[in-house]
Formats: sequence, C-alpha cells, structure tokens
Amino acid sequence: MKLTPEVLKLNWEATAERIKQFIKDYVEKISAKGVVLGISGGVDSSTAAAISALALGGDKVLGLIMPEEETYNPKDIEDAKLVAKKFGIKTETIDISKILKAFYSSIPAFNSKEKVSKGNIKARTRMICIYYYANTQKRVVIGSSDKSETMMGYFTKWGDVAADISPLMDLYKTQVRKLALHIGVPKEIAMKPSTPALWPGHLAEKELGIKYETLDLILFGLERFMPPEKIAEQLSLSVETVNKVKERWLANEHKRRMPLTVKLQYRTVGTDFRIPRTK
Amino acid sequence: MNPIKIALAQIACIRADKNKNIDKMKSFVEEARKKDAKLVIFPELSLTGYVLRDLLYEIAELVPGPSVKKIAEIARENGLYIVFGMPEKSEKAESVIYNTAVLVGPEGYIGKYRKMYLPTHSAFEEKRYFRPGYGTPVFKTELGKIGLMICYDTFFPEVSRALKLRGAQIIICISASPAVRRNFFETLIAARAIENNTFVIYVNLVGIEEGLQFWGGSRIISPSGSIIKKAKYDKEDLVVGEIDLDDIKHVAAFVPTIRDLRPELYEQLKREAETI
Repeated sequence: MKLTPEVLKLNWEATAERIKQFIKDYVEKISAKGVVLGISGGVDSSTAAAISALALGGDKVLGLIMPEEETYNPKDIEDAKLVAKKFGIKTETIDISKILKAFYSSIPAFNSKEKVSKGNIKARTRMICIYYYANTQKRVVIGSSDKSETMMGYFTKWGDVAADISPLMDLYKTQVRKLALHIGVPKEIAMKPSTPALWPGHLAEKELGIKYETLDLILFGLERFMPPEKIAEQLSLSVETVNKVKERWLANEHKRRMPLTVKLQYRTVGTDFRIPRTK
Repeated sequence: MNPIKIALAQIACIRADKNKNIDKMKSFVEEARKKDAKLVIFPELSLTGYVLRDLLYEIAELVPGPSVKKIAEIARENGLYIVFGMPEKSEKAESVIYNTAVLVGPEGYIGKYRKMYLPTHSAFEEKRYFRPGYGTPVFKTELGKIGLMICYDTFFPEVSRALKLRGAQIIICISASPAVRRNFFETLIAARAIENNTFVIYVNLVGIEEGLQFWGGSRIISPSGSIIKKAKYDKEDLVVGEIDLDDIKHVAAFVPTIRDLRPELYEQLKREAETI
C-alpha cells in the first residue's frame, strides 16, 4: 500500500448518502423532534450542520452560535450564519461570556494562565447549552468531531466531543473538507484553517505541529497496522514524527471511552454489559 | 421441470421484536404470493435483527419452536416455502446458541442450517455468542434440492461445495452484510454459483443497526454467474425472479467443474490447513 492522497479518496456521493441515512434513521427511531449542534463557522460543524439539514430538512436542525469575548471573531459568526442560511437551518446565538466569568470567579483554584484548562471550560460550557436545548426540545445532539481529531485526542473530554451521534467521526479532516465541498458548503469555509478557538489565535495545525494532509496519511497508515518506519519512509518524514503521532493516538484512548471501572460483578458497564440500542 | 418463481424479501428488522418482524414477514409473503412466488427468502437473523449482543441469551429459541411454528403457519396459509434466519438455542445445553437458517414449507418445518463460519473481526463478534454449525444438509423439496448457507460462509468455497456434493441445485445464502463489504460479496456470490454449477440466491438485510448499514442488493445468480434478478441497494424491496433447474445441465457441460473435481487435493488441503 502506497500512502498517497489517493488512499483518502471516497465516493463522496455514496458517503454523503450513507451519513444522511444514518442521521435520519437515528432521529426517526427515537422519535426525536430534530437535532441541535454548536456551529462555529469552521469546516467540521458547518459540514455536520449541512448534512443534517440535507438528511432531515433545515427546519429540523438548530445551530447554536456560542461566541465569547476572548476569542470573539465576527468572521466566524458570519460564516456560521452563511451556512445556516444556505441550508435553511435555524440559529440561536448565546453569548457564553457571562457564564464563563462566573466559572472563573467561582473556582477557588482557577488560574487564567492554565490556558488549556480554561479553554476546556469554554468547550464544556457550550456542551451544557447544547444539551439544554436537546433536553427541552427533544433534539438529538449532533457531534462534529472528525477522525483526525478523535484519534489524536484533540478535543475536550466531555466538551466539544459530547454528542448523541457523531456522523463525521469516521472521516479524516481532509476527507471532511472534500465532503463539505461535495455537499455545497462554501469553499472558503470548507478550506478554512481549523481552530478549536479555546484561546485567541488558536490554530489546530500549529498546536498539533503538523499539517492535516500529512497527519491524515500517518493516521491512515496506523489504522491499517503499518509500522511507523514504513509510514515515515513513504511520507519522507522522520520516524520520530510518526512515533509522536502514534504515541499521542494511543495515550488518548481514555478520552474515547466510558470511564474505566474495576470488575466486581457478573456484567460490568463499559466492559461486558453488551446491550444494543433497540430504542 | 417447470420454472420456479422465487421472491427475495429484503427487509429491515426491528431489533429484538420477533412479533413485529413476523408481521412484516407475513405481509411480504402475501405480496410475494400475489406475484406467484413459490419460495420467499428473508435475510440472516431476520426474525430478530442482527446486532443483538447480550440480548441473544434471552431471545434465542428452539428450532423448531414457537416462532418457527408461526412462520410455518404463514407458509401453509400461502402455500409456499419460506427461508429465514434466527438465533437458535440448543435443545441439549444451556446458553449454547447458533446462527441458524430455517426452511419451512406448506407441510410445516422442513429443516435448518447452522452457520459454520462466524465472523469475529472488524465490527463482527459472532464467535462471542454463537457456536458454529457442523453440518451441510440439503433438503429435497418439490421445488428442487435446496442447500442453505449464511453470509460469511460465502468466503469459504468449502461450504457451497459440500452442499453441491450433497446434490444441491439451489444454494440459498442469507446475509447481514454491511456496506463496507459489498464488493466482496458481489464477486464471491457469483463465483460460488459458477464453480458449483448451481443457482445461488443471496438475500441481504437492509436498515441500520449500531452504525452498520446493511446494503441489500439481494440477487438470484444463474449457474453461469449472471444476475437473473436483483433488488435495490440499501432499501427494503421485494423482487421476484424465475429460475429453471434444467439450465444447470447445459452449463455444467460447458464448465464441468464437478466432473473435474480432484478428491486427492482435499487430503492435501487438510494437511496444509492444520499447519498454517
């Protein structure tokens, strides 16, 4: 197997159709009234919102725009609204600044220099808002996480990743961009540099230290059990670079699971209590 | 022999709800009868749905048993044969379950086949729950000699070959195959027909269970490997196709795979397979 951008190609029409069917089936089976998700104006949430609208009709999709003072970016809000308008999605804007300040001032140990922990409060606050709408309006929470971020653990545990279903989670970032273009997300949004916006100037590729075009091919190789040496050779990278990605992927398994518990009884949640979702 | 009309009943299941699935089967059978079908085939585990995990211990039944009786009654009322899939519990030992294909007809319960190859890789976990079957029975009916197999069995030419050597003219493969594996099945199903000079009838599930999207695409394949009838991809469908068992004779003269069979190779294969 040769690791070239070719390997990441999918039949985008069929892929879009599968994702739409998946969303529609889930929403119908639990008799939900629609879906809700946070929309940031970035590629992942724009794509998740757009494909939900294509699956269910825009009137069934609620997009929450949740800016806050520190990372306020009018262009992102404009982009979120642009996608919402194009796909007929309803939006509501919640300025979460006041909630955040209440957290910052209420936590005795709060230290604003701990920027990751502070950023996590932002992601988790958005999750709380989204679930409020989900609970009160009988909506399914759509997650926007992609496979690259999920494998890297590049998300806030119980924050932005929290959702009922994550329709894009088996697509690498560069694949999400292709899908976005295919379903009609405006090009400037589909190709926009990714940012978790946990602090001002926060850019994913800068923080991860690698371009998504390269990262996705490394992850694709790891997914198929390729040895890091072989991946490095094929992509003309150092083995150290590939190993760093592999270590980060494995180290973050705790973020992708139910909390681990000790096995004490007959069947245990998260281990061998294996129940399908029948409702 | 006269041509036989066969219905491919490509359904989505309501998981763990046998009564609702039997109701659906009944309506599909009645529709098939109106189209003069003599045999109606439902997918793998169509009585219960495919992804059942621990619920299997509660939901498996004896074969024959209460659900088989209900479906046999539908067969009797409509004067036709039905093949469907269900989790079967052993009558001899507790918590022993098989993934089973059942054949019923106007005369009642006819027989069963227990899946021999249980996929336990990728998204599949069948060996965790099921015991594999050990037999390849062929059932002599007024429609012809019918052999049954299930889904992943298709990847092992030994199963369909054993059915052929027992005289099967029609090999029915019921399946619950998710979309990522469609290409494999589309190739292998035709290969099993060609290499055995038999009709192969493939009936796959549709619907979505735990993120697995079953692709449908059920089909009747002639002994020469061509598609006689095909159902839609991804959606419930009922299609009826016609087969003529007399076609086997001239195809087998053109591609005489059974005449050319080499029994001594099986001894060699056995030895090699034991030392992989």
